[in-house]
Amino acid sequence: MKNMKKILSLALVGAMVVSLAACEKKANNEVKTTPTAAPTKAVQSETEKAPAYVWDGAYVEEDDYKAYITYDLEAISETIEPQLTSAQKTAVSAAVEKGKAAIASAQSVTAVQKAYQNAYTDILSKIELANGVESFVKLSRAEKTDILGMLEKYGVTTGITGVTLFENGSYVMYNPRITLGTENYIVGYGFGALKEGDITADLEYETNPAWKRYYHTSETNDPGTLNYLNDQGAQVGDLYEYLAASYFTTFMKSTKDGYDWTPELAMEKPVPVNDTDGDGAATKWRFQIRTEKEGLKYTTGSKIPSRAAFNNRGVKLEDYLTPYKLLLTQANNLYRGSEAANSTSGAIKGAKDYYNASKDGFNEDAWKKVGVRVYEENGKSYLEIEFTTEYDRFYAMYYSNGLYMPVPQDFIDLVTVQNYLGFNKTATETPVDNSLSLGAFYPEAYNSDQEIVFKKNPNYVFADSKYKVQGVHVKIFPAAETDASATINEFLAGHFDACSIPMDYLDQYRTDPRTRSTTGDSCFKLNMNATDQATWEALFGVNGTVTQTEKDAYWNLKPVMSNAHFRKGLSYALDRLSFASARGSVPSVDYLSSNYMSDPEDGVSYSTTEAHKNAIKALVEETDGYGYSLELAREYFRLALTELEAEKKITPGTPENPTVLDIEVAWQRPAQEDQYHKEVKKYFEDAFNDPSVSGGKYKLSLNFWVGNVWSDVYYNKMMVGQFDIGFGSISGNSLDPLGFMNVLSSDQEISHSFTLNWGTDTNDPLSYPLVYDGKLYSFDALFNAANTSAVVVDGKNKAALDMVYTQLKKNDDGTYTARLTVSEAIPDQTEIKINKVVCCNYERYNNGDGQYAEEEVPFTVSEMNGVTTVTVTVPAALAADYATGSGTTTKNERTTGFDFYYDITLGGNTTKDIYYSTNDVFPE
Amino acid sequence: MAKYVIKRLILAFVTTFIILSISYVLCKLLPFDRPIGGDQQQIAYFDKQYSLGYVARFEVERDDYGPLLYKSPLERGRRNYYYQVPVLKQYTSWLKNICTKWDWGYSKSFQPNVSASVIIMSRVGYSIKLNFFSAILSVPLGILLGIWAALKKNTMTDHTISTLVMVFISVPNFVLISFMLRIFAYRLNWLPSTWPTDTASAGTKVLGYIIPVFCLSVGSICSYCRYVRAELCEILESDFLLLARTKGLTRKQAIVRHALKNAMVPIFPWILGEIIGLLSGSMILESLYGIPGIGKLFITVLNYKDFDILFVDMAILTTISTVSGVVLDLSYGFIDPRIRMGAKK
Repeated sequence: MKNMKKILSLALVGAMVVSLAACEKKANNEVKTTPTAAPTKAVQSETEKAPAYVWDGAYVEEDDYKAYITYDLEAISETIEPQLTSAQKTAVSAAVEKGKAAIASAQSVTAVQKAYQNAYTDILSKIELANGVESFVKLSRAEKTDILGMLEKYGVTTGITGVTLFENGSYVMYNPRITLGTENYIVGYGFGALKEGDITADLEYETNPAWKRYYHTSETNDPGTLNYLNDQGAQVGDLYEYLAASYFTTFMKSTKDGYDWTPELAMEKPVPVNDTDGDGAATKWRFQIRTEKEGLKYTTGSKIPSRAAFNNRGVKLEDYLTPYKLLLTQANNLYRGSEAANSTSGAIKGAKDYYNASKDGFNEDAWKKVGVRVYEENGKSYLEIEFTTEYDRFYAMYYSNGLYMPVPQDFIDLVTVQNYLGFNKTATETPVDNSLSLGAFYPEAYNSDQEIVFKKNPNYVFADSKYKVQGVHVKIFPAAETDASATINEFLAGHFDACSIPMDYLDQYRTDPRTRSTTGDSCFKLNMNATDQATWEALFGVNGTVTQTEKDAYWNLKPVMSNAHFRKGLSYALDRLSFASARGSVPSVDYLSSNYMSDPEDGVSYSTTEAHKNAIKALVEETDGYGYSLELAREYFRLALTELEAEKKITPGTPENPTVLDIEVAWQRPAQEDQYHKEVKKYFEDAFNDPSVSGGKYKLSLNFWVGNVWSDVYYNKMMVGQFDIGFGSISGNSLDPLGFMNVLSSDQEISHSFTLNWGTDTNDPLSYPLVYDGKLYSFDALFNAANTSAVVVDGKNKAALDMVYTQLKKNDDGTYTARLTVSEAIPDQTEIKINKVVCCNYERYNNGDGQYAEEEVPFTVSEMNGVTTVTVTVPAALAADYATGSGTTTKNERTTGFDFYYDITLGGNTTKDIYYSTNDVFPE
Repeated sequence: MAKYVIKRLILAFVTTFIILSISYVLCKLLPFDRPIGGDQQQIAYFDKQYSLGYVARFEVERDDYGPLLYKSPLERGRRNYYYQVPVLKQYTSWLKNICTKWDWGYSKSFQPNVSASVIIMSRVGYSIKLNFFSAILSVPLGILLGIWAALKKNTMTDHTISTLVMVFISVPNFVLISFMLRIFAYRLNWLPSTWPTDTASAGTKVLGYIIPVFCLSVGSICSYCRYVRAELCEILESDFLLLARTKGLTRKQAIVRHALKNAMVPIFPWILGEIIGLLSGSMILESLYGIPGIGKLFITVLNYKDFDILFVDMAILTTISTVSGVVLDLSYGFIDPRIRMGAKK
């Protein structure tokens, strides 16, 4: 007990000493801080009194911090100014000045942030929120490019575009015997090696004399088929292109700086059939097409008599319909068929209904409703396609692509759908035998796992003027899969005509006269999870709107990731030029790769437009041109730490025992640890862990993560919020960059669940000042308005109709009543007309014998203040019938459902016969 | 003897069956890959998987299946639910087709629609030819070197051979082929850098064998050499050989009549086993040199997850392995009549 007292006394004395020491330390700190916080002011006016407050910014001096925040405020004003009215400009300018004054007089980090926030809100309050049904779909390409620039700038500023690492372009070497179409790479086209190029000498290595002048290339694996209609990758598509003809193709301009779209199977550019308003857009397009009358003939290299009989056979008009039937008949199980039927872009009217109705084979009745037909008029042949939505002439051309190359039905009957463009079951017939070509080449030899050879097609439409190369020899070269230098070794030995230069050979061959550089089709990014706890839970928590996560599986959010300045620091810390140069790729800060076209018809890359340059201005100014600046990175890290400490989200350690900020980077493949992760880690850690940032109080540590399969980083990490930083890219239609901006939306309906960067509510018009034509929009609202149309309420994108279904009730007379309440988002611009309601027999369909039936049922409609109520009555007999199983099930669930068919007129545009579906159960 | 052979063959069959069954289940338990894309791509992908039999598709949710892989958007009150077909169900159906129809399935992605056995048969010839030439080169060369080293034991010749054997046995054939390619194909341009295609000239085809046969043989030559040397050295020091010499036989006579004959008793079955084993090809070597044999096929279809071909390939490799074990055991009896297989005590 005595000892205990002694120990307690010693402990008490010790505690007092420590407390005193701490007080002394704090006092010392204060003494130190005051002069450092005020020197600028002292210089400015020596007569001024020392400030009556102590600046609490831990790592940034007061003036510097305020300067950065003021810069952010001015940047907002600068961004929105071109879209403001003169009155708005004056009001915004005043609000900015007021905000700057408030920032200048703020006395702490949080006070500066608050002053900024107030000024931001004040600026936005000067701009009218957009309202009404908005559609900018018919704007010119230049105007749409401007909107694209605004959306991109939104993404760049809010960070939802992620941090771009590189664009997947490369350095390519060509054999000197190849004369390229152009020496300068044309974005979206290439060098025109085959189309406009030529081969001027024999390939010595080739032992077959007939193939010495063929273009020699390679594939790592034999795809085993040329049937692109049934393939989901890109490899078969590349091979299929050799033999396929499209309605339209592209050829290099005579100036060799771009390309033109040229009719190939078509004879002229398409003509709109139902362009009622004369704006050039229509759903129905007519293509004048070539047939045997114009000398269009099939070619095959098959020696099998039944196949060889098709050689030089003329193309008949009805042959143009065959590929549509082939693809869209579900029983054929063709991958591209399902894709075409379920497509929303370039969807053909009635295609999906036909697909669903053709599970058992071709369905004549359903086919009659598909929007494709052929006919002759005044001796000319035409194909008419009706799309589900209006397209301009370019997209009408674009969507009539090579998938629909004509083929005679009797040829399909002969070779069978399963074997078309592929092998038969016993491999006695090869793709040479089971294909007919209309393209520039036709298959000459297919030696499985060894080589695929294509020969120039004498019957090709442009055989005399283009494609001087006599053939293409594709060597199957599996060594390239495991040995990065295998292909270049083959090239250098004179066995191939072209190759990409691998990383280890770049220094040696970058300046070789045979080397050319290309741009890429995708920008690879580090995607960011910038959510705070509340947002994360709302999106991914137990009742998350995106996905539902059990509490014990909640992601451990890192506070630094939600700080915009920290993420900006990461972006500045990446030396993209060195990173990309070492790998032969293209350094880039862009969200969209160079292959994305703002004007696809004329081949104008979006990356060359002013709209894009303005969007990324903030990323590249005061950097090496590719967004790298170690000074800026460290400055932004200092800002971030200052803010995070002021917000009490992080606590500093000591240089001896620093607070470690662990960030996980999720990658696709284990090999990416050496390929990318180690260097990225070095960039980030070197920038952050420099003593000038926090004096060693914090330490950034990047950790590597990889899943079982490459797609885990998407499905198990980024798309479900279980990540800090995730590596990946999504590619869209390079001819429609505006449409591809959908993946930036936090709305899963818009992004099709492919949101990879989280943290900003893209349907909040106050999250960022997205101003168009003097009105304030949310990202989602402007995106939808630019691509189709948007119902905008207070700047937000809204569903035109809000449907609430009230479940079936049984009435005394045995009938059943259900109710649908339809609320209009903008009643004064919306009109709906209920056409019919059908009751569906799901009981027998799902739980019985698979028999499906539906029957119209009576309904009444009442309307009040923009709310329409539809009351449905199901007759007792029908309910009794539908509620009954077929007798084959013991589990009668009495399931049913309704389809409400209606027309909607929105802002003067009417869409007819759309439906809303419900599921229900007949109560006992 | 016959009873013993039958018993061993049954055992080999059971072993093969167990190996294949375990491999089937493990392969099918691999994580399910899926594309990155919107509903359009997802539906197309899962419809395709459904048509291939990998995925089950229902219009109602099922709780008697595994985890839900994908749920298509609601349309006219209906949607499709895609579940992975339970592995056991896939296994029983696969087994049933083999047992009842001898149908080993067909290729789903490697060479779509072609029968798995046809694909295997079209490739097995390349592996056999390659390994046949390799055996022709490696067996005599390996044995001769082994004998020479044993006879010259502890001389410079023996040391040189043993050192070379140690060096080359340590170099994997994929490293060796890289050197061979760099020197003879890329630098000197004497030999083809890849396997010549069927359309190549006869001369090129012959030259095409040199690099892979050499690389495949080096390891075997070294193994045979080392084994023969060890066996022969032991016999050369044995009492019976001393007796043979004391009976008046010359050293040559003693070696040829007694030492070699006795040394071959353990060596010959081992060589036999090696030769049979060579039929399975060399996965890495075939891949690196682009030889369209069953070794390369194995790696390719594993990457493609084209399981029907994989299991035929695996069945062949496993059968070769188990049968070679049986043949090996039986060969002892033929080579040395003193050994009786399955004889009662």
